[in-house]
Formats: sequence, structure tokens, C-alpha cells
Amino acid sequence: MDGSAPVIEVDAVVTRFGAQTVHDGVTFSVGRGTLVGLIGGSGTGKSVLLREIIGLHRPTGGHVRLLGTDIWSAPANQLDAVRRRFGMMFQDGALFSSLTVAQNVAVPMHEHTRLSRATIEALVALRLMQAGLAPDVGAKMPSELSGGMRKRAAIARAIALEPEVLFLDEPTSGLDPITARGFDRLVRELVDDLGLTVLLVTHDLDTLLGVVDRLIVLARGRVLADGTVAQVMAVDDDWIRDYFSVRRIAGHGS
Amino acid sequence: MSNPTWFEIEAPDGRTSLKLIGAWRLQRLAEIEAALLGLVLPPVAQVDGNTLAEIDSASALVLLRALHRAQGPAGSLNWVGFSAVNARIIERVQVHLYTAPSAPATRRETLLAHLGRQASLLAGLLVGHLNFLGATMAAIGELLRSPGRLRQRELTVQIEQAGLAAIPVVALVTMLIGVVIAYLLGLQAEKYGANIFVVDGVGIGATREFAPIIVAVIVAGRSGAAFTAQLGSMRLTEETDAIRTLGLSPMQVLVLPRVLALMISLPLLVFVGDVMSMVGAMAIAGPMLDIAPPAFLARLREALDARHVFVGLVKAPVFALVIAVIGARMGMTVGRDTRALGAATTSTVVQSIVAVILLDAVFAVFLQALDL
Repeated sequence: MDGSAPVIEVDAVVTRFGAQTVHDGVTFSVGRGTLVGLIGGSGTGKSVLLREIIGLHRPTGGHVRLLGTDIWSAPANQLDAVRRRFGMMFQDGALFSSLTVAQNVAVPMHEHTRLSRATIEALVALRLMQAGLAPDVGAKMPSELSGGMRKRAAIARAIALEPEVLFLDEPTSGLDPITARGFDRLVRELVDDLGLTVLLVTHDLDTLLGVVDRLIVLARGRVLADGTVAQVMAVDDDWIRDYFSVRRIAGHGS
Repeated sequence: MSNPTWFEIEAPDGRTSLKLIGAWRLQRLAEIEAALLGLVLPPVAQVDGNTLAEIDSASALVLLRALHRAQGPAGSLNWVGFSAVNARIIERVQVHLYTAPSAPATRRETLLAHLGRQASLLAGLLVGHLNFLGATMAAIGELLRSPGRLRQRELTVQIEQAGLAAIPVVALVTMLIGVVIAYLLGLQAEKYGANIFVVDGVGIGATREFAPIIVAVIVAGRSGAAFTAQLGSMRLTEETDAIRTLGLSPMQVLVLPRVLALMISLPLLVFVGDVMSMVGAMAIAGPMLDIAPPAFLARLREALDARHVFVGLVKAPVFALVIAVIGARMGMTVGRDTRALGAATTSTVVQSIVAVILLDAVFAVFLQALDL
């Protein structure tokens, strides 16, 4: 268990859709136990990059290593082993609508462990509470949940197997500010308590300013800036200035 | 690498100490759980974390549950030698464990309760359909007063999709049905030398019963299901709500064009079916029964009363109304999740086909009574 090896390595990734180049040599790496935010304007391929890291979309060129495994050249069984070690929360939760919340959280446990039913039930209750949900939510169907609860349920499923890495796609989009801040705290707690590495795609400035350890900015197909929020804000670039100036105006207004 | 011992129990000075060993992780948790199964501890004991490399929250949960079981409710534990990280993880899980109320047990429904619930659901469904039929009629009445409100474009599109596009499959299926009826009748008629009467049978049977039923079933599967899927997904994406907010009526914009399109298309499709089943019958009557097409057509003119064809064509718009109303209503009332949409689409097809056949039986009885 060496704590120094990077958990996520993105190396010169190139992505093209037809004639349109989305990524033109994106490179960065993320170490264990950090909470990293990935930002960029619309159409800069943040979500696509996320899908490339977790093995859902093949990049046109370059390498992605997750937990030391090259995602796009590893054999299937090795890839399955890696899949058990990371969790992904999709933008709208992607909960299975035919299962209750508790059954949703239990799916990876039934699939990948040989634990007894009673233990899995207790573990599901623990996961729901870690995600900030009351245990009786487990009996509900996903369609009965509010947006914020659906996202929490999705987190509970994503952390079901004690992943080392957690990917979040727009975790706070569509949430009211109070719920969103609660969600930020939750993610921060997971990083601190479980030692998770988190990579999140977001547009939420409060998330970035509040809980993120490090910020990666994608623009024009490349990594435009990479560092703490203060470091990124100091970068001399129009897009970054515009991005954060919205915040400054809002701050002065109140 | 493999580490079969997860803990040891030591009692050096009379105080029992549970010494945890190795890395307790979810991957090996089934083994750990099995090892902890027979654990028994005195009410006062110590848990030693000095040799515990790491523990994750799932393992902590299993450990805490095992300790609780091993000691009974009145036990007390003394935790020593845990690293800060491990202690924090165990502490957090402990907090959750003791605030967790037991999950409510799910009750199984008895057979009678199930039967009752299904029956009341069915009754509710039928009343709902009747309501929707009434609302559709009211909307048609409104349209008659101000015909300008008719969505002509949508109506044309729907006629194209439900009518025009269905012609190939309707033609193929009804032609094959014509072949089959003529063949089966021919086998029997040949025995009595009554070959020519096959034309009577096919002519009356196909135009009066088979073509309308077969075409209605095809349309129920094609257009009825499509109505539910289209309107249902529009409901999921809140498009129907948007229509309502913009001051438009979903009934006028979405439902009526579909209902009218189907009521216009289905009789036309039935006519196509009538013609094609005759073509099929004629095609096999020649080689099998020595009835050449001119003889077939001549006999058809004598045997087939126009009223049989009209009965078939009159049934068609009624079938169309029922199919369209069921399809549209199931779409407009679908639950807001993806599974409900699939279930509603399936239900539309089943309901439509049952309704068509039921109505056909009603028609048969009434027309018989009217001597038609």
C-alpha cells in the first residue's frame, strides 16, 4: 500500500467526434485521498473525460490509468477487479427504477461479495446513513424520492463496496443551495472518513470554493490550469476570470 | 499473503483482550464474518488495535455487530491501541449503528387481498377509461363548434404514421389470411365438390370478420402502443405540462389528432385488408380449386352482399376509437418513471386487443338481432 502512487493518471488523452476535437492531449494525475474538482465551459468534454476514465467511452488516443491499471488495454477480468474499487454517481442518479432504494444499494453487494443477507441489510442501512438518508428511505422506490434524496441514494450505491475512488458527475446540479451545501459536506466527510479519492465534475462555485482540495480547468482541449482554488483564480486567462468574476459580482451585491 | 487469523483472544492478567490482526477489508469480509461467528467475550473486555493494519467501515460494522452478539446487551468494551484513522472509522460506524432504527418489515399480501386489490384497480381503470372517453367526446364537440381549432398538421402526420405506414404490413398479413381461409375451406369443400362456395365463405368471412379484427389487432400493436409510448415519454419530460402552461389543451393538441387519425385510417386499412384477402384467396383458388380469377370474381359478385362489407367497415372506426382512447389515456396517466412507461405500453396492447374482440362479439350479437 504505497500512498504515493497516483490513483488516477490521465496521459495525453485525445478525443475526437468526427472532425471535432474535444480533447487534444489532456494530462493530469490525482493522488490518494484528495478531492479534485474538474471544471470547464460547456462542450469542453468534462463528462466525456469522466466516462473515458471509468471505461465507458474509448478515447481516440492517449492512456488512462486508474489504480495502476491501464483502463483501455487491460484484459476484461482485470478491468472487473478495478470496477469493484471505484464508484460512480451519474448526473441523475441512474438508480434502477424497478428496485427499491435498499435493493439498489444492495445490488453490488449481492453481485460481488458472499456476505450473509443479514449483514448486507445492516450494511445497506449503514450506507444510507453515511449518505445522509434515514433507513426507512430504503423501502421507497426511486420515483418516490426528491432530486436531492435520489442523489444521496446514488452516492450510497456508489460507496456500497468501499471504493477507493469515487467519481461524481455534477453532484449538486438541480439542488437548492442548502441541500447542495449538505451534499458538499457529505462528500468532504467521505474523503476524510473513508480516505476516498474523489473526482467531481461541477459548475457549482460554492462546491469549488468550499470543499475542493484541487481544481483542474479544461479549456480548448487541454488542461488550462491545475492547482488549489487560489492558484487557479490567479491564472491570467479570460475564461477563468469570467468564471470567477460572476462570483465576485454576486459577493459584492449582497 | 494469505492471512487466515483475523484476531486472537488473549487473557494475560485475567482481563480478556481481543487482538485484531491484519487488514480488515470488504474483499475478505465474508471470511472475517465466518471467523467471528463463534466469538464469545465476557461482559468486560478489551479490544486491541495495535496489530490492526486497516479497517474499512463495512468491516467495522461487522466487528461491532459481532461484539454486540458476543457480549450481550450489557457488555462494556475498552478500546486500546487503535490508530487515529481506524478509531475514527469505527467511531463513525458506531454512531450510525446505535441511531439506526430497525427497518419496517414488509408484509406479504394474502391471496384474497391481492385479488381484491387487482379487482378494484381494474374497476378504477375502466371508470378512468370511461371518463377519458367522455372528455374526448367533449373535445370533439368543442371542435365541431369551432373547427378552426383542429390541428391539421398533426392530424396529417398521424394519418401518415398510423395509416399510410401500416399499409404494407396490413396488406401482407391479410393476404396471407385470405390464402389460409381459402385453403382450409377448400380442403372441406373439395370433398363435396362444392369448390365454388369457397368464394362465398372467403368473401363474407374476410370482409365481415377477419379483415376488421386482424387489422384492428395490428393497429393496436402498432399505433396504440406508439400513442402510449409517445404521450408517456412526453409526460416524463414534462412536455404535456408545458403544453398546459402555454394555455393549450393536451386534449386538443395531442389526443384528438391521434383519435381522429386512427378513426379515419382504420376503415381505409380494413378496406385494404378486404381487397388483399380476396387477392390471397384468388391466388390459391386457381391452382388448388380450379377457380380461375374471372370465375372467382363473377361468383364474388353474386355471393358477397354489399352489407357484409359495410358491416366490416362500420366496425372499424369504433375499434379505432377504443384503441386510440386506451392508448392515449394510458400514455397521459403513466407514472413518472421508466418502468411504468414500459408497463403502460404493454398494458395498452393487451387492453386494446381484448376490447376489440369483446366489441366484435357485441357487434355480432346485435347485428344478428337486427338481421344484418
